[in-house]
Amino acid sequence: MHLDPFELHRPASVGEAVELTRKFGPACDLLAGGTDLLPNYKMHLNVKRHLVALGDVAELRTHSLERIGAMTRLGELERDTAFRATYPGLAEAIGEVATPLVRASATVGGNLLVETRCFFFNQSYFWRDSLGYCLKADGDRCHVVPQKERCYATFSGDLAPALGVLNASIEIAGPTGLRTVNVLDLYDAAGDGIRRHHLAEGEIVTAILLPDSARRVRSTYRKLRIRPTFDFPELGIAASLDLDGSRVRALAIAAGGLETYPKRFDEFTAPLVGAPLTAEAITAIADQIMRSVRPVYNTFLAPDYRKRMVAVYVRRALEHLSGVRAEAAG
Amino acid sequence: MATTSPPGFRLLGGRIPYIEGPLKVSGRAEYTDDIKRPGMLFGGLLRSPWAHARLRSIDVRAARAMPGVFAVLTGERYPTPFGVLPMTHDETAIAVGKARYVGDILAAVAASDEVTAEQALRAIRVDAEILPEYADPKVGVLPVKEPIHARGLAGTNIQKEVVQHFGDVDAALRLAAHTVRVRGIFPGVTHAFTEPLVTIAEATPDGRLTVWSATQVPHYLHRSLSEVLGIPMHRIRVIKPEVGGGFGGKSDPLPHEIVCAALAIETGRPVKLRVDREDVFLTNHGRHPTQNDVTIATDPDGHILAYDIDALIEGGAWSSFGTVTTYYNGVLSMGPYKVPNFRYRGRRVYTNKPPSGAMRAHGGTNIRYSVEVALDELAEKIGIDPFELRRRNALPPGSTTINEFRITSTSFLRCLEAAREKSGWEGKFRKQPFGRGVGLGCGFYISGSNSPIHFTPKMPQSTVHLKVDMDGGIAVHSMQADIGQGSNTLLAAIVAEVLGVDLERVHVVRVDSDVSPIDLGSYSSRVTFMMGNAARLAAEDLRNKLLEAASHLVGHPVEQLVVGHERIEVRHRPEIGTSFLEALHAAMEHTGALTATGAYSSPPMGGTFKGARAGTAPAYSFAAYVAEVEVDAETGEFHVETVWAAFDCGRPLNRLAVEGQIEGSIHMGLGQLMGETMSYRGTRLMNPSLLEYKIPAPQQMPRVECLLVGEDDPEGPFGAKEAGEGPLVATLPAVANALYDAVGVRFATLPITPDRVVKGIEERRRSGRAWKGA
Repeated sequence: MHLDPFELHRPASVGEAVELTRKFGPACDLLAGGTDLLPNYKMHLNVKRHLVALGDVAELRTHSLERIGAMTRLGELERDTAFRATYPGLAEAIGEVATPLVRASATVGGNLLVETRCFFFNQSYFWRDSLGYCLKADGDRCHVVPQKERCYATFSGDLAPALGVLNASIEIAGPTGLRTVNVLDLYDAAGDGIRRHHLAEGEIVTAILLPDSARRVRSTYRKLRIRPTFDFPELGIAASLDLDGSRVRALAIAAGGLETYPKRFDEFTAPLVGAPLTAEAITAIADQIMRSVRPVYNTFLAPDYRKRMVAVYVRRALEHLSGVRAEAAG
Repeated sequence: MATTSPPGFRLLGGRIPYIEGPLKVSGRAEYTDDIKRPGMLFGGLLRSPWAHARLRSIDVRAARAMPGVFAVLTGERYPTPFGVLPMTHDETAIAVGKARYVGDILAAVAASDEVTAEQALRAIRVDAEILPEYADPKVGVLPVKEPIHARGLAGTNIQKEVVQHFGDVDAALRLAAHTVRVRGIFPGVTHAFTEPLVTIAEATPDGRLTVWSATQVPHYLHRSLSEVLGIPMHRIRVIKPEVGGGFGGKSDPLPHEIVCAALAIETGRPVKLRVDREDVFLTNHGRHPTQNDVTIATDPDGHILAYDIDALIEGGAWSSFGTVTTYYNGVLSMGPYKVPNFRYRGRRVYTNKPPSGAMRAHGGTNIRYSVEVALDELAEKIGIDPFELRRRNALPPGSTTINEFRITSTSFLRCLEAAREKSGWEGKFRKQPFGRGVGLGCGFYISGSNSPIHFTPKMPQSTVHLKVDMDGGIAVHSMQADIGQGSNTLLAAIVAEVLGVDLERVHVVRVDSDVSPIDLGSYSSRVTFMMGNAARLAAEDLRNKLLEAASHLVGHPVEQLVVGHERIEVRHRPEIGTSFLEALHAAMEHTGALTATGAYSSPPMGGTFKGARAGTAPAYSFAAYVAEVEVDAETGEFHVETVWAAFDCGRPLNRLAVEGQIEGSIHMGLGQLMGETMSYRGTRLMNPSLLEYKIPAPQQMPRVECLLVGEDDPEGPFGAKEAGEGPLVATLPAVANALYDAVGVRFATLPITPDRVVKGIEERRRSGRAWKGA
């Protein structure tokens, strides 16, 4: 497998990067750590003529407790003891990404924008050619849910749910200046599944902003996969909890690895604010979330199992954060 | 060199670091892909996108006309069929007439670089008629519309059927007090060796062909190249550089090796052909997907009365080792227990999938799993401890199985004793809380196949040559294939041990058919036993020459002389003697450099019935493993915490290597048990990558306690037997039986993924059977 030829651009500032991205539009991709994009390029998946490499943009590479530059390597955050102590749940999620070697290159921004994954998409050109291509690359049908005009590839980032429950936001630079959105609003949940985010042409994710509240809450991240390393999530559950005595001041739960987008379950958690977090409440919320998700068979483990594990993982996450012991559902 | 050898030995029996270790860890060891030849071209392979298709025409004109393309080959250029077994030659270097699986080679190119080669392949147009494809061996046992091979049995896709019956199984079943039946279902698994397949070939104007290849079987490759290319063997030179793992995946002569040589002949230029990871998965030759039905019957006290076994194994597109596999799936159940009545039917069926072949513990892994799980169930049924059941049935040393396997040494009882004691079995079995368990699984494997694959001409299975000149360095030549398992180190250590010299005097020369005498290669766990004996004899031959010369120098008869450290001296009077170099220089006074040779042939053995040779070996290894597991009953995830691996490899000659083999075998066995699977939808392989083919991660490895309790084998070199494959087979049932102890569920379908564990626990609860109060 060989990379097709491409033109590499190395902007030195965010402004230059925005300009290049705007100029090439759909004919370019951003290159951050390369751990996701380049393997996909070797498989000739949606290869672009131009690559805008962000490695030389110094302003994207700094981080503090409030602001993480998008090009910060996951490994750098892992080694930052103050960061780990402040955001243990986020640090858990970072430590669960791929392998130490991958985390040495992979970036925070890259993980947020990681390509969705599917058995019928993440295959070589030969493999896809022999089957007939799919909606997401070179083809016009979905092999997972054949009747649909929509792509069901799975969102496989670990950081998005973990940042989502901390109410983190994303700073985006574009031709018209900076804007900020909630991290999970980055994803185009109403879309066709192929386009995975709301970034406009010329827009670049520049930083992740963590609010003061993120330092008050307790949070955790739990990842289901066959092996405790290497693998993308078969399910990732993040939860954050702020208790006032036994009453809930704030509670958020988010999931990745299940559907095309990471998602937060505020409709189930909101009613609990102000109420005590009882064993019954934990069990009920775990069950509600489980019932609401729709995984499909395009990862290693069967979707019915992944769905059932949602209840277990949510319950365990909340037990861990609250110290309350709940009963297993069913 | 720091070793802790047993009394009487300086090196053997200690822990001997691999002699090539410094080269490997510094990146200086030379693997095939490290080799570059002047003017070298690169090969590329066009693979079939169809599972089953008749090839009407292949248009290569556009590809041939491209700049930088030096040759384009299709099947009819070298159509001679080949295969590792002489009786089942059904492969061709490039498909002829039909494509039989997605990945079958349709054409090959040689170009100035790999990108050009890839572009040329895309310019080839293949016109094909799509044929019905067969993904299921159960369909293929009946007549089919379009048999995959004409040689299939009576219009079916059956490649080989084996029927054996010893004693009277029906009568035994009627008399039985207890009967247990297990149906094991095993998807295919593959070797996933580290170094992908790669070959370089160069045809020179003197009419010679040189081939460098990542292979476990240089000799079989040598033969196949000669047969298919029509060049006499003496004009072909096969070189085996360092090899990064094989596990059976490099133990067939493979099509890409022959294609590479053909491209070199066509172009007159050196050609390198690298097979990428996806294509390594498609080349496969891994463990056969299998369904086996095993019935075991015992008397009231648990003495085994009969085995009744049926195995349906899936061969994929080619025969490969399949005929042997079909026998092994029955006969490798014969130890470590006495089985007075035995009936077996095995069928191997072609499918339109990547070919199955030999993989570590070839033919012995899946049948062993079902047998050991059935025995665990029998022990429970009878109400005796699983150790006691095994003890009652153990084959004694010096016995013969009902199918006439000759059991010389066995330390199986010592294995049982060690595993039981060290694991703390007494306090754990059925005594730990729900979710925690221990299980016993035992093993039995051949220590070198007694049958060479080729019977003509008659020749030893292993030959070793030594050469030593006035510099005192001992060059060792043998075609044995070190693929990372440490056979070069063992070869050097045996020579050094016998001659009393330091290990660094001995240089194992890279396998090169121009200078290496034939050893059949690294498969069937044969190397330590066969090469070891040959090496010992060669070294003794050289030692005798040195003793003779020393006798003149020191004035004592040969009978009074012994080998000391770098010295030959008088027994009990070490102050009288001569140095190794002095003895050597005296010995070569009239002859020049000394040479010596040793060879090993296994003794006659086995019955005279059809298939009697399958599974006969000059010795067998034995194992008793206890695994301890912790199960998360809610998620179904489990961790194997410890494996107590009691193993009988006779005398371990290099403890470091034996322990490495045991640990590696456990890792590989756990892979098949926990998640590795060649995952197909229809004929399509869904996971041809190391990301989606789930080799266990380091964190999943248990603590391994190696208990090497074997006693000397009478025929093994210095008492040694194999330790390369036998250590795998006990792993899987030990863990499965531990899972049963933990959660009360029998798992007959592999891999045991967390969803299956959850389902199993639920089914048991629904049926109302409590286990340890849960």
